Amino acid sequence: MTQPAISIKDVSVTFRPLADRNPTLRRSVGTFRHREKQEIVALDDVSLDIYKGEAFGIIGRNGAGKSTLLKVMAKTLKPNTGTVNVYGKTSTLLSLGLGMKTELSGRRNVYLGGLAAGLRKSEIDERFDSIVDYADLGEAIERPVKTYSSGMFSRLAFSVAMAIRPNILLLDEVLAVGDESFREKSMETMRQLLDDAGTIVFVSHALPRVEEFCDRAAYFEAGRIRAIGPSSEVVDVYRSTV
Amino acid sequence: MTSQTQSTRISKAVSNYADALWSRREFAWYMALGNLRSRNASTALGLMWWVINPLLMGLVYWLVFGVILDVSRDLSYLLSGIFVFYYTSTAITSGANSIIANTKMLVNLQFPRLIMPITAVMETAVGFLVSIPVLYLIIGPLFGYWPGWQFLVLFPIAFVIQSIFNLGLASLTARLAVPFRDILNLVPHLLRIWLYLSPILYSADLYDEKLPEGWAFIANLNPMVPILALYRSALLGYPFEPTDLVLSALWALVVAGLAISAFVRFEGKMARYL
Repeated sequence: MTQPAISIKDVSVTFRPLADRNPTLRRSVGTFRHREKQEIVALDDVSLDIYKGEAFGIIGRNGAGKSTLLKVMAKTLKPNTGTVNVYGKTSTLLSLGLGMKTELSGRRNVYLGGLAAGLRKSEIDERFDSIVDYADLGEAIERPVKTYSSGMFSRLAFSVAMAIRPNILLLDEVLAVGDESFREKSMETMRQLLDDAGTIVFVSHALPRVEEFCDRAAYFEAGRIRAIGPSSEVVDVYRSTV
Repeated sequence: MTSQTQSTRISKAVSNYADALWSRREFAWYMALGNLRSRNASTALGLMWWVINPLLMGLVYWLVFGVILDVSRDLSYLLSGIFVFYYTSTAITSGANSIIANTKMLVNLQFPRLIMPITAVMETAVGFLVSIPVLYLIIGPLFGYWPGWQFLVLFPIAFVIQSIFNLGLASLTARLAVPFRDILNLVPHLLRIWLYLSPILYSADLYDEKLPEGWAFIANLNPMVPILALYRSALLGYPFEPTDLVLSALWALVVAGLAISAFVRFEGKMARYL
């Protein structure tokens, strides 16, 4: 647990307030200075190392900067200042079924989702059967995804996301995927990933889950790290402030 | 920093970006196909709407400008113009939506954002290509226009030039629509004005006849003028003027170059607005 998988140094991210996120032409011309003064800080000079082989939990109230941090790690959001280094192939499960089209068949969506996540077509060809097996969809793979139950859809999406064989998995609260047996299976896959020196970053409000699943955790408040360390201690700190 | 190291830095960044785009080409193509297929699956006529829409538009304009006002040249001139213009207008419209309609994917996955307007142009290009045989099925029997050697040579060139031009405009509207959603309301009006200002419903000669001295020159600065002229040489066998080719290509390269570089420079900030 000495090699970092994700290394974040002095990262700050500022946003314009929600009300001004979609500025109209008139407002952006007329109140330029005003808006700049109103900037809010989502991440305030955060430095953090997450190591290979560890499950890392991120907790905190709404608006504490948790999702922003995940976006920074996923490299979809460039911080205003600071550096982010990610060593490995990242898969994000911040939201399931990215790139998928519900009117199309499960088969087509395996390709759409896989290509969106960064796979090549030939890689999807190779892994197609194992993706379908894992999702346990059987014949349903030829049916339009809009006919799926939400559990079936989650299974398909999770299976595609794992098919890119990531070293680093960024998870939002989507662990409650599918029924009991699939949840077991997905937990098993994630433990396997950790055993292979993979890394999981897990954002959640479910404190027991964080305590149980994560080795370390960080408690965010107003864009800063309030506490960091073994997950049970950090969860205790968080509980004491609620 | 000397200007030489600066320019090598920029050319390196450009080639990195181009590599990243190229490595995601399957993604772009499958997304375009997926969008076409899902629209196909949710409407009874599916892909045929790519033909029916410009056709209905053309027939309405023919009724007003050709029959009632009697200023249009003939149906083949009008329909070919409408079909060509429809490609640009659909590319701009879906380009404008391409980023903001896919925010979920864009905040979660990392890939060159230019994929989105490229996909929008690919999708509309497929629609345009499908519409061309139908155009000939109408103007062929009625006016005797059939694809000849001029079509074989000029159409691919015109198509590539217009596609580059469309990609420029699609990236520009996609980029602008991220901070300024107002653009989405403005685009249809701008497109209609552009349609009326272009030689589609009337002949380009009208500029010289009706406009005051000097204004015809300005009217001819419309990039649609050379693009339409090039297409009419390709589709209808009108005499080919090399200046049309040069001017269309220049417009396409300048517009695409400026718009794409503006788009790419904005990429890092995009997620802040989504």
